[in-house]
Parts: sequence; structure tokens; C-alpha cells
Amino acid sequence: MSRSNTPAALSLVTPALALLVLVFVAPVLLMLPLSLHEYVAGTGISPRWTLANYTQVFSDEYYREVVARTLQLGFGVTGLCLLLGYPLALTMARSTPRLRFWLTMLVIFPMLLNLVVRSFGWIALLANRGLVNNLLIDSGLIERPIKLMFNLTGVWLGMTHIFLPFMVLMLVPVIQAIPRDVEEAACTLAASRPRVFWSVTLPLSAPGILSGSILVFVLTISALVTPRMLGGPTYKVMATLIYDDFLQTLDWPAGAALSFVLTAMTLAIIAVSSRLLRHWGGQA
Amino acid sequence: MKPGRLLGTVAFGVIAFLQIPVLVVVLAAFSKTAYLTIPPRGLTLHWFEVVLRDADYLSAAWTSLWLAAAATAGALVLGLALALAIHRRLLPGAEALSAIAMAPLVLPSVVLGVALLQYYTLTGLRGHSAGLWLAHVVITLPYVVRAALAGLTAVDPAVEDAARVLGADGLTGFRLVTLPLVTPALVAGGLFAFITSLDNVPVTVFLLSASQNTLPVKIFTSVEHGVDPGVAAVSTLLILATGAALVLAERFTGFHRYV
Repeated sequence: MSRSNTPAALSLVTPALALLVLVFVAPVLLMLPLSLHEYVAGTGISPRWTLANYTQVFSDEYYREVVARTLQLGFGVTGLCLLLGYPLALTMARSTPRLRFWLTMLVIFPMLLNLVVRSFGWIALLANRGLVNNLLIDSGLIERPIKLMFNLTGVWLGMTHIFLPFMVLMLVPVIQAIPRDVEEAACTLAASRPRVFWSVTLPLSAPGILSGSILVFVLTISALVTPRMLGGPTYKVMATLIYDDFLQTLDWPAGAALSFVLTAMTLAIIAVSSRLLRHWGGQA
Repeated sequence: MKPGRLLGTVAFGVIAFLQIPVLVVVLAAFSKTAYLTIPPRGLTLHWFEVVLRDADYLSAAWTSLWLAAAATAGALVLGLALALAIHRRLLPGAEALSAIAMAPLVLPSVVLGVALLQYYTLTGLRGHSAGLWLAHVVITLPYVVRAALAGLTAVDPAVEDAARVLGADGLTGFRLVTLPLVTPALVAGGLFAFITSLDNVPVTVFLLSASQNTLPVKIFTSVEHGVDPGVAAVSTLLILATGAALVLAERFTGFHRYV
């Protein structure tokens, strides 16, 4: 395995590369022509070429609503993850190694748990006979169960729970890397505790906030399982609409076009943010 | 309240928020009712018995396990080979190679799922276990490559050079020196791959044959027809298995450092 041994190198790389080309790149590329054909209910996919599958994503009222809802969830889940995740990450970063280890374990455990199981946990909490409604009824606050699932509340809460560990794990090392001297210097200069946090700690953790937010946003807009389980068949986002297009209505071309729109959104967000991060890195 | 105390209280609340859905599932599994309800009415192991005797659940669990094991094995072999070539810069374009290997993490899973559904329909692989296995190797590969690269970076190249000086050929040096040193990283990467495969719905759901099911897909689709405490019982068993796996992995590899 010397540095000039090309045949050996090729034999190392070829199996993985062949798999990625045949079972990843080719299938995705083959979906492009599919997305450019018309689907006729009853007869199937017509041979005529069209851009209609793409234009309807932006012109059709229903599609626009689904795309808007997907983005709304992206922002909502990211915001809530940040709001809940930052205090926990700050506590973890500043705690003793022993306590930090246990807190890390408690953050990792739900993350490793089957996604379907975690979403199911939220069904058990939010369903009509779930814990929240039962507690509210028993305490006399409400008479009839309130609707917590198959709407924004359920999907928002569930996805925040699913993606919160990612945010926390991205924030902890960044906060840990902030030198305590800087904060102490600010304290010495008579800054109050909140002032130190807002003008020193928070700005210095900005790169971690950005990368955590991007990760959570991208995961949220591409998620299928939780929106389907907690949103039901009617409260649709882009991923669940793609699922229905392929498995229920069988309008594969529309689903393929929507898949490319979703992919383009994801890639655009990642490209813009990595630019931002590099810019930040250059400044520091 | 002092700011430090307030922060601690909020952090404790968030940790509780993370665990509550897990505890609720476990509680729901013991209910005597035919419908899902929390807190459970009565206390029974009936639903565990129902689930463990249910042929559908057992075959789904079996499919999930062999698929995850086979996918992990495939990803470990292909991923370690690829990581070696990237790490030692044996070929030009190492950056591009690692970017391609990581790409399945960036593409929304549901998009890969539907793309493979069309592709397998065209190539006649639809409903075949081999197609399912290949798809799972693709989605688990990034985790192995990432872990293997991290492990290889931590190995001092001088150690393998020393083996060469002492007369070992390239393969022997790798097998006796480098491989044992990257094993903990590979175990962590393999565990991630196993969990990822076991967890997957957005790709699997499009590729199963009519007679096949995996455990998460079965739970995912059964929720649409209403849930009973049996689903909670299966989930509880999965929670126990995950907890045990985490404890074992932490003991043997210091798992949390690789997350």
C-alpha cells in the first residue's frame, strides 16, 4: 500500500464508489425525466414533456400552502430548539465533567431511540385520551379533550423534541471553547451578569448557533415520519405530500418535481450557511 | 431567583422534556384497556404477551435485525476501504470522494426513497431484499466513513512505519497495527450504522415487498389505523434494547466521544 500503488488504491475505492453511483446518483438523476412528464389520472404517465409539475408548486394555491407550512415549521422548530437548547447547553458546558457526562447521556439516549417510537410517545401524550388531555380533564380545566394532534401544535412539539438533541450537541463544544477570561474581564469592567451574557457569551457562540440552527432547519423540512404520525393524513408538509404522491395518488411526476424542489431548498440553505460560517471563521 | 439557579431549573426542565415521551410510552404499555390511555388503567403484562406471540411483529423484528446487521457489515467493509484511500490520499480528489460518501446525509431521505422506488421498478429490483440491503448500505455508509476517518487521523503514521521497518508488508502492518488502533472508532461507527438502519422509515417504506415489514415501518403504518397498547409494548421493548446498547457501547468504546 505505498503511495504510488494505484491498482491497490482503485480496489479500495471502486466498491464503495460503484455502490454510490448505482444506488444513489443514478436513481436521483433518473427521477429528473420523470418529473418532466405529465400524469393523467387513469392512464398513467404520458410521454409528453412538460414543466407543469414544477410551475404548479409555485402557482397552485394548495402547493403554496404546503411549502409555506413546511418553511413555517422549519423556523418554528429551529426557534424553539434554540430557546430550549441554549440554556441546557450552557449548563452542560459550565458543569463539572461528571455531571456533564450524565447530562450528555440523557441527551443522547432519546436521540438514539427509534424515531417512530419517539413520535409514538407524542401520540400517547397528545391524543384525545393522552396524558395532557386526561390531566386537563381530571383537573376540571376542560370538559372535552382539546385537539392537540393533526395540527401545528402536535407536529411542532414533536419535531422540537426529536431535533433538540442535535442543537444541544452542536452548542456545547462551542460554548465550552469560549475562554472564561473574556467573561471575567467583562465582569471586572463592572458589566452585570445579564450584560456579560448578551454582549460576550452569546455573540461568541454565534457560529454554533448558526450551524445548530441550519442542521435543525434542514432536518425539519425534510422529515417524513414525525409530520406523518403527528400531522395525520390531512395536515401535510412537503415530505408527506411526496409520500402520498408516490404511494397513494400514484402521481409520480408531481412527487418527483416536489422532491427536487425540496432538495434544492435544502442544498441552497446549506450552501448559504457554509459561506456565512466561512466568513465568520475568517473574521475570528 | 439568582440567574444561576434559574438557568439550572430551565436546564432540568429541558432534560425532563426530553425524557417524558419515553416514560409515557413505557407507562402506556401496561394498561388493561383495549385503547391507548395515560395514565394506564390497571396494570398488566398482557400486551407484551400479545406482541411477543404475534407472528407479524416477530417477522418484522427479524427483518429489521438481519437488514441492520447486513447493512452494517457492508458499510463497514466498503466504508473502511474508502476511508483508507481518502486518509492516505492514494488517489487525487480525496476531498471529492469524501463529499460523495457524505452526500446521502444531505439529501432528504424521502427523496432517496422515492428515487429508489422508481429505479428499482425500472430495473426489476423492486420488492427484492437485495435492493433493500443495497439502499441501507448507502444510508449507513456516511457514518462508517466519518468514524473511520476520525479513527485513522488519530493513528500515528510512525507506528505503521515502524512495523514496516521490522519487516511487515503493507497488509500485515495494517492488520496487526492500524486495524486494532481504529477498532474503537469502527465499533462506534458500526453502532451508528446499525441504529440508523434499524431506525429508517423514509427509504424502507418505499422498498418493502407486500409481504415484508420492518418493525418501525409496521409501527409507522399501524398508527394510521388507530393504536392499541400493543404498539406501546413493542416500543417499550425497543426502548429497553436501545438503553442496553447505549450502556454497553459506552462501556466498551467511550461512545459519547464519537457522537
